[in-house]
Amino acid sequence: MNCEVCELKELVVEQFEIREVLRCILHTIIFHRALGLVRPRDINCELFELTYVQCGVPEVEKEIEEKITEFISKISKHPNRRSHQVCLSFYETKDKQPAWFSSKTERVYWERWFINLQITNQRVNMKPNQTKVGFDPGEKLSSLEEKLHRTALETSVRENLFQIIKFVNEKMDHLPHIPPNAEGISYPYEITILSSSESSLDMLKRMLQTGHQTTLS
Amino acid sequence: MAAHSDSGRTTEQIVSQFLSKALHAILAARIPYIHGPTPPPSRHPRKRDRWFHLALGDPPPALEHPSGLIPNGVMEPLVVDILLSPRDDPTMPEAIVERWVAQCEAPAPWSPLHSPAETSSNSFLVKRTYKKSIILLRSIYSVLRLLPAQRVFKMLCASNQSYNHDLTYRVSSFAEPFSRKEEAEFQYHCFAPVETQSGQLAVSVQYRPSLSQFNLEISSLLPPMLITDYVGSPAADPMRAFPSSPSERAGTRSSTSFPLRGSQHGQPSTSAPASAPVFFNRPHSWTGGPSEVPSNRAQHPNHPPTGSYRKPAFNFDEFKFSPPFYMSPTPSPPKFSGSYMQSPLRSETAPVSIPQPGSSKVKVLRSPNLSDPTRNFLPPPSPRSARTTDPSSQDSDSRSFRRPDGLRTSDGYSNMYGTPKGLKDGRDDSGRFSLSGSPRFTFSRSSSRISVPDDLDDPDFSYPFAVDDVDSSDSQARSNDGKEVSDFGHASSSHKSQDAAVGVLVHMLRTAAPLRDSTYSSQSSKSELQEEGLGSTSSFFMSRKASDALEELQSYKSIKEMLLSQSKGKLH
Repeated sequence: MNCEVCELKELVVEQFEIREVLRCILHTIIFHRALGLVRPRDINCELFELTYVQCGVPEVEKEIEEKITEFISKISKHPNRRSHQVCLSFYETKDKQPAWFSSKTERVYWERWFINLQITNQRVNMKPNQTKVGFDPGEKLSSLEEKLHRTALETSVRENLFQIIKFVNEKMDHLPHIPPNAEGISYPYEITILSSSESSLDMLKRMLQTGHQTTLS
Repeated sequence: MAAHSDSGRTTEQIVSQFLSKALHAILAARIPYIHGPTPPPSRHPRKRDRWFHLALGDPPPALEHPSGLIPNGVMEPLVVDILLSPRDDPTMPEAIVERWVAQCEAPAPWSPLHSPAETSSNSFLVKRTYKKSIILLRSIYSVLRLLPAQRVFKMLCASNQSYNHDLTYRVSSFAEPFSRKEEAEFQYHCFAPVETQSGQLAVSVQYRPSLSQFNLEISSLLPPMLITDYVGSPAADPMRAFPSSPSERAGTRSSTSFPLRGSQHGQPSTSAPASAPVFFNRPHSWTGGPSEVPSNRAQHPNHPPTGSYRKPAFNFDEFKFSPPFYMSPTPSPPKFSGSYMQSPLRSETAPVSIPQPGSSKVKVLRSPNLSDPTRNFLPPPSPRSARTTDPSSQDSDSRSFRRPDGLRTSDGYSNMYGTPKGLKDGRDDSGRFSLSGSPRFTFSRSSSRISVPDDLDDPDFSYPFAVDDVDSSDSQARSNDGKEVSDFGHASSSHKSQDAAVGVLVHMLRTAAPLRDSTYSSQSSKSELQEEGLGSTSSFFMSRKASDALEELQSYKSIKEMLLSQSKGKLH
């Protein structure tokens, strides 16, 4: 089975924007891949004039939130690293020939999504709605920069979402059979956090060679 | 899972259900309150929800019968125009902000789908078609949230805002081509088609990338109109009935049916959509009835009946059930202007009733003593009468007797409630007197007037202070009461702010039966009472009445002086 890979356009985000951006993207991808019966929920972004859709499965929401929290804590430990990646993978579990020191089942990934984020630290300690009151023109410029940045990021996120929709519509043949009576999530998935030192291609190579699930600490 | 298994579904069934569900998704994301004032409650997914594994809830009534949407089969395109219509100006043209087109295009002759396939591959194709349709529907659902019109939809759905535009829709089986200029204003997004045995199921959308040109603004709660039942007008009817429930209001507006154009294509309008009223309800708008719109549109030759409607010219009658109309004319009763002045007085003088013979209430109010609440209705003593009372105040005995009560009186008065400023003005003592009814006031005086309560219980008892001049007998007191009233009336004329209240009191006193006892005596009895002192019983009683009256007057003066001193003290 082919493993379709979609590398999303890089997003330049500030630390406080990471959560909302990842929510938009991850939920949109899963909504298009959770092909069981769902009752969609419209979510209005807190930071942008954007509405995305969740599949309405509580377990998915919980796992996404946990992964985002894990991602944020990891990048805070490495403030010097700017580029980070989050990988959302869909797989099938297949039995394989039992062997010593190996598992009986293996995961066969049939689709991977790479979300690329570049973290900026301009206003790391500033809250999203914090406003500056001052007479310094530099401060006014920073608020203008912030506005421009926010607008650009919203546009980029919207482009990412359209990219996702385009991809899911064009690439359908590789999708496995939908389990009967599927409710909510129809395909197992995992969310992994890649270090900046490891590119997506490196990760794919490693996974193809080992054939094991790859998780990073 | 759905009652029909995947293999049991036919391609046509899939396409038909897909078009219906797509239309449902579009309308639910673009037309505010398509389901009515209250959204349908979430419930267990029904069979309909299980189509394409996307539970959208109950469809609007027009979509209850999806076959009505495409009467000529699945090959008929489904065109959904989302329009932004000016609300307050029906003459302004409505603009298409989005156009969704869903169509199952016949396969090309060279397409492998064109040739009949084996049953097994049919089943495979059906399953694949269904799976891809699921994803396509999800994509449509997502794109609806990403387009600019979504923001307008959210704004219009705001429960407490009313905007100058409405979002409406038009469903048809063919798309009116845009002009070149219009075409240039739109952007195009095409979804990847889904291959079916009947052809390629293609969905596309043309949308305006920016809606800022429409100046979407919050409009007033009520459109400009002529209010005939303004507060104070004879037409004001505060007892106008409220509608019982929002559903009833929705029902009144849901009587209009909007036959879909496609359904009318080659068929009478009494087909399926006729049983499917489509309405656009905005419970917070309370705009004019949609009933006017279809007739207008139906009569217009160039405007075929559509699934949309616009707010007609404002009809005031439509507002009579609208909550804002109940809210805006605040229930202040200007039509009761005559009683407006009376009502605060009444509310303030309510504890003090009009003295009526045998009235228990009056007895209660009279009860303690000469601090007769009914005195409170009396107008302030005239300056002449006040001066005439001054000699009495010079009486050391009466003064010593009266002063403590006067002090207590002042305490009682100081604790009076609800005294309007107008009555406090100037003649504060009399004003307060007119409003006192405080039990505290009466009780404070009870200790000094032991015999009086008995007298007060007498329905024929004349209120000593009803007269300014003290009388030696009851009749004299009553006659003086009338004189005092006249004096008070004379004095009150000098105080405009107290005139109305005093006049009311005087009127009440005059109309009170006991006050019109024929045994009233003349003023001469007053001087007689002063001369006689506290000798005989009856004379003592009358003198007491007069003395009480004088004492009251003195107390008022003391109160006045006290207040003035207090005000001076505060200023310094």
